[in-house]
Amino acid sequence: MNSQDKVTIRKLPTGVPGLDEIVGGGLSEFSFNIIAGTPGSGKTTLAHQIVFANSTPERPALYFTVLGEPAIKMLRYQQQYTFFDPAKVPNSVRFINLSQAVLEKDLGAVLEEITKEVKKANPSVVVVDSLRTMVRKPRGGLPEMELQSFIQRLALFLAGWQATTFLVGEYAEDEMRDNPIFTVADGLFLLGQIAERNSVVRKLQIIKLRGQASVPGLHTFRITNDGLQAFSRTFGLTRHKSILPGQRRLSVGIPELDIMLGGGIPEGDSVLVAGPSGTGKSILATQFIAEGIRQGEAGVVVVFEERPQEYTRRAGGLGMDLENPQTGGKLEILFIRPLDLSVDETMHEVVAAVQKIGAKRVVIDSLAGFEMALSPGFRSEFRESLYRMISALKGLGVTILSTVEVDESFTELPFSNYAISFLTDDIIRLRYVSIESQLRKILVVVKMRGGNHSKDIREYEITSKGVIIMGERLTEYEGLITGIPTRLSRSGQKEEP
Amino acid sequence: MLTPESLDLARRLLAYEAGAGKTSVAGESAAFHVYEKLRRHLCVLAGVAGFESLAARALTLARAEAPSLRTVQVTADGSIQGLRELELQIDKDDGGTILIARLLGLLFIFIGEALTAQLVQDVWPDSGNKGKA
Repeated sequence: MNSQDKVTIRKLPTGVPGLDEIVGGGLSEFSFNIIAGTPGSGKTTLAHQIVFANSTPERPALYFTVLGEPAIKMLRYQQQYTFFDPAKVPNSVRFINLSQAVLEKDLGAVLEEITKEVKKANPSVVVVDSLRTMVRKPRGGLPEMELQSFIQRLALFLAGWQATTFLVGEYAEDEMRDNPIFTVADGLFLLGQIAERNSVVRKLQIIKLRGQASVPGLHTFRITNDGLQAFSRTFGLTRHKSILPGQRRLSVGIPELDIMLGGGIPEGDSVLVAGPSGTGKSILATQFIAEGIRQGEAGVVVVFEERPQEYTRRAGGLGMDLENPQTGGKLEILFIRPLDLSVDETMHEVVAAVQKIGAKRVVIDSLAGFEMALSPGFRSEFRESLYRMISALKGLGVTILSTVEVDESFTELPFSNYAISFLTDDIIRLRYVSIESQLRKILVVVKMRGGNHSKDIREYEITSKGVIIMGERLTEYEGLITGIPTRLSRSGQKEEP
Repeated sequence: MLTPESLDLARRLLAYEAGAGKTSVAGESAAFHVYEKLRRHLCVLAGVAGFESLAARALTLARAEAPSLRTVQVTADGSIQGLRELELQIDKDDGGTILIARLLGLLFIFIGEALTAQLVQDVWPDSGNKGKA
C-alpha cells in the first residue's frame, strides 16, 4: 500500500479566522467532535460559525437544541454576529428543538428524533447543544451509562450518514480526563476564560484530534461582532517557509552609526536600542524606518505610547516624511493599546501588516509599552512571548529594531530590564553622561552577532535632523559608561576633580 | 402595540390561506390554519414549551385589542382552542388577524424581521412572501 492508496480526509473550514491553522488545516470531514468549556466560553458561537461555514441547501446543517438556552433566545443573540446569515435559515441551517423528547422521554427517543431528521435532511454538519443538560436531567438508572450508550450510538449512526458532528457541553478540563464519553470523540475542543486581576483572556486548546496534527498548546481567542477569532501560538505561520536573510547591511540613516555597526545592521537581525527616557531611542528607530523607505523598503512601526498621527507629526518635525509612505502603501503604523492583549493578537496584526505591504523593516517602540498593553496574565511570560515574536518576525525575513527604556544607573550599564539581550543579535546602548556640568549623551555598540563593530564610545546630539553623532570618540575621558567620567590629563593621568 | 408590518404580514397570510381554503375542508377558518402551520414549524424550532409560551403571550396581548378572543385558549401543547369557533361567528373585532399579527410581532421582536421572513417563507413557499416581513 503506497501513499496514493490511503484515504484522503477532506478538511472543512471552521469559519473561525485563525482556527483552521490551529486544527491542522480544517475539520476532518465525518469526524465526531466535542466542544467543551465553561459557561460563557463561546461554545455555542463556535458551533454556529462552523454551521454557517459548511451548510448548503443540498447538504444543510442541523442544529439540535436540547435543554438550556431557549432556541428563540439563542437565535436572537447569535444573529448579532456578522457570520449569521438569516437567508440560510432554514434551508441551509435548520434548528430543531428536542427539549420535549428529553423532558418527557429518554435518550433513546432523542436518538430516534435525531435519526429521523438526519435521514430526512442529509446534513453535512450536525450539532447537538447541549450535551451536558441531557446527563443532568434526573432519571432512574445510571445517567452516565445511558449517555455513554447514547453517544456511542449517535456517533455510529452519524458517521454512517456522512455527517460531521459537534456535541456542545459544559465540561471543565479535569472532568474530561476519566470520562468515557470523550473516548468516542475524534476531536475535543476545550474553550475557557482565564481571569487575571481585572483582565479576562479567552483560551482554546485542542485536546484531541484524530488523524491530523494540530498546533499544540493554549491559543488565545477573542469574541467580537464577527464571532470567534483565534490566534495561533505560531502566529499563523505554521505553513510559512522561513525566509533566509540576505547578506546586505541596512543603513540606520545615521552614517556615523552605520560605520560603527560595521556597515549597517545585518539584514534579518533583531536590534535592541536601549537607553533611558529622552535619549532618542524613538528618533533613532524612526530614522531607521525612514531610511528604509528612502531606499524603497517598506516598513511597519508598532507604537504603544503615542498615536500614529503624533508619531508621524514628530517625524515630520525632524524632516522625515512618514505621511506619504503611509498613503503609498510603504509604511504601516500600528497603534496597539487595549491593555488586555495577548502577544499572539499583537503579532497577528504585525504579521498581517508585514505581509500586506511586504515590509522589510519593523520597529517595535517600545518593549515597555508592549508589555503594558498585554493582559496581566501574559506579562509573566513576556520573555517567552518576545522570543516567539522575534523568531516569527525573523522567519518573515524582516529586520527588527526594538527600543527599550532602561533605568539609568551611574554604576553599571544595563541593557534592558527584561533580561532579553540574548534574544537580540545587536545592541546599541544610549546613555547620559555628566561632562563639564552638562548632561550629554553617548552611544556605544555593545554587541553584534554578525561580526566586528566599533568599540568606540561616541557623543551624539538630537537635532532638528534627528540623531547626529558628534566628532571622534571621547578619548579624553575615563569611566564614560558610569555616567560620571573623569577627564584625563594630557599625560593620561586622571585630573583632580 | 401592533406594528403595521406584523399586521400586514398577518393579513397577507390569512388572505393566502383563505384562498387556499376554498379547496380545503369547508368551515375551517383561515386564522386557525395560519396558527396551526406556524405552530407546527415553530414547535420544531423552539420546542413545544417555547412555542406555547410565545402563543400564550400573543393571545394575552391580542385580547386587549380584540375582546372576542376571551374565549380562546392556548393549551399545553401549544394548540389553540376556540379560534375556529370564533371565526365561524361574526368576528367583529378581527380577533383572528390580531392574534396572528401579535404572534408574528413577537417573532419580529425576538428574532428579527429577516429571520421571521425566512421562516414564513419556509412555511408558505408559494405565498409570495419571500423576503417580506
